[in-house]
Amino acid sequence: MKKDLRNMELLSAYLDDELPQSEKIEVEKLLASSLDLQKQLEDLKKVKQLGNRVKRIPESPFFETRLMATIEGQKNESSKIKKWIPAASLAVVTIIIMVVLKFNPGLIDRMWEDQKVAIEGFYKENLQPVLVAANLSNEDIFNFAFNNELPLDNTRQQYLLLGYDDSGKEFFEIRNSDQKIKRQSYTEFITAMNLDAEQKEIVDSIIGSYSKALEGQVLVNEKNTIAINQNLWNFRKAIFADLLVASEKLNKAKFDRIVPAGITDDEKVVVVNTLEKLKNVSGDQYIFVTPDSIFADSYQFDSEDFEKEMRIIEEQVRINEEKVKEFTLNITYDSNFKKFAEENSSHSFKIVVDSNICRVDLPEHHILEVPIPEIAAIDPLIEQATNNIHFYAYKIPKIEKSESGIKIEYYNDDSVYSYVVDYNMLNMDSLSEANSGLDLYNLEKLKTVKPFDDSMLIQYQFDRDYYHKYYSDDEFKKEMEELQKELQQMSEELKNHKIRVKTQVTKSPKK
Amino acid sequence: MISNDNEKDLQQPQIVSIDDDYSIIRQFIDGDKSSFQILVKRHKEKVRNIIYITMNSSALVDDIAQDVFITVYKNLKYFRFESQFTTWLYRITVNRCKDYLRKMNVRRIFSPIEDGTEISEYSTPVEDNDISRIVMDAISKLPVKLRMPLILKDIEGFSYQEISESLNCEMGTVKSRIFRGREKLKEILQPLEKELMN
Repeated sequence: MKKDLRNMELLSAYLDDELPQSEKIEVEKLLASSLDLQKQLEDLKKVKQLGNRVKRIPESPFFETRLMATIEGQKNESSKIKKWIPAASLAVVTIIIMVVLKFNPGLIDRMWEDQKVAIEGFYKENLQPVLVAANLSNEDIFNFAFNNELPLDNTRQQYLLLGYDDSGKEFFEIRNSDQKIKRQSYTEFITAMNLDAEQKEIVDSIIGSYSKALEGQVLVNEKNTIAINQNLWNFRKAIFADLLVASEKLNKAKFDRIVPAGITDDEKVVVVNTLEKLKNVSGDQYIFVTPDSIFADSYQFDSEDFEKEMRIIEEQVRINEEKVKEFTLNITYDSNFKKFAEENSSHSFKIVVDSNICRVDLPEHHILEVPIPEIAAIDPLIEQATNNIHFYAYKIPKIEKSESGIKIEYYNDDSVYSYVVDYNMLNMDSLSEANSGLDLYNLEKLKTVKPFDDSMLIQYQFDRDYYHKYYSDDEFKKEMEELQKELQQMSEELKNHKIRVKTQVTKSPKK
Repeated sequence: MISNDNEKDLQQPQIVSIDDDYSIIRQFIDGDKSSFQILVKRHKEKVRNIIYITMNSSALVDDIAQDVFITVYKNLKYFRFESQFTTWLYRITVNRCKDYLRKMNVRRIFSPIEDGTEISEYSTPVEDNDISRIVMDAISKLPVKLRMPLILKDIEGFSYQEISESLNCEMGTVKSRIFRGREKLKEILQPLEKELMN
């Protein structure tokens, strides 16, 4: 049967002339010997020929025209769809986002928070106390209390300036200084307070007691992050207040010139309490200034751990006999970065950067987060003292000689009182007698008063040789009183029209 | 029995050289989209006829043929010149026909059976002379796997090799299916044997 089937298939293929020569011969042999196969072949041929009886479909002359029209139509449709693909994609993405946010309303917030935490963590790594490296002296700490400045490196190339803007909000600046700042405020203070060596030691110890507490207040790391403890503003006030209280004890007479009303017992209690708290509360709230953001967050600086590490490092340095090279901190910031917050925004940090200053204004009430309420109680005291130190410094008159006469100028509060005494009408003899040491014809030796811009204490720079040759502090005071009498006398004479004096009072900005 | 005259009258497949198709395809790939029209004009009737006989209906011929040529148009840029264009074209044609037949079968399952001349056997002698229609109807009753090789061989005159490539199957399979198709067709047309085969 199988053989028959194979033979029939061969027969069919033979009919189609699709057999190889060998099989063709084989089939022909079989056909020659089998009538039945011949009959089968004949039947197959008849069936095959039926295919020729099938009529073909009539031609379609417009087929290709219709086809090409359809293809063109599809192309246009496709291009229309393509045109809408961007919009459709956007719509789909929007819908997906809406759906996702519908069921996960906090998703973006969480992503934002995660990102924020990651960034904060990155910038908080390995923060070290820069003020340790800056090796703060008593002069530096005193300057900080009175002039709001803290050097950030031991070469004094960069320093931190704390301040309050016109509305009383805190700000800080990181400044580059081309020259070393050579303030002598502490020395001036010791001189002004007329303190002897023993008293100076007491003040030294007071200032020194803040040195360690200040160490952890400003931190930096290799990622150009600078972290400033929000307690720093309060620390400055504390040092200031502590020195005031000490000054009162050490030299009451001098102190009364700074704070005429004195410090009441109640105020002293507040000051002492505040100081105690401040010394014990380091505060873990820092303001982080990073190359790409500013944020406030808590940070625990472990000074004990740091000291341990430092001891280990020092030991290693000692063992290896390596010389510790001069440390220079180079905090850089992007000068292209201008501002990122509205000026009036009370909830954001405001940052202004130029070539050598980076100023950061703190949001309103930001510092109040530090839990030392008593600090507000001593604010008026500090303010009064600050103003009076400023006032006291400006009471020294400025004397200028001009072609027409002598111009005497002194400041009182926010006004400048200026007297010009005409040579022609001046009673030279009386002045010369009253000021035997004063060479009226060489007044140019007296340098003009040049207040420092950012200083609360006005530093006056007389010709020091001249000053020390003729005057001690008390003598100078006496001379000034004499001068005042002279001026009163001149005023009397003026009233009697004996001499002509032009006076003028000009308002100047409060320094 | 078919006469020799009738045989001569039958339209023979148009002989087109491979090079001609290749050069036109290259023009098309080079950006001359109008050259596609030449290909269509050259091969459309054979494609239409295969569809016509396979589907046993003229109703869907142009739709399916259009479908075939649109497929060719979209894919012609990927043609690799490793086989004849016609082999590729007829394979697409056969596959489209199979797709349509499958869809029609599915539809038939879910539609009510009509009073059915469609499924009736040719139990009565055919009185009209439309032998072509009878043969086509008989072919349409063959299973698709036997129908396609039979059409390509006995109606379109393909070689076994061409059928093998167009249907993507072995030569032995083609040989076997052609024989079985003929046997089955003979069986279907048995009642009309005298009218058709003498």
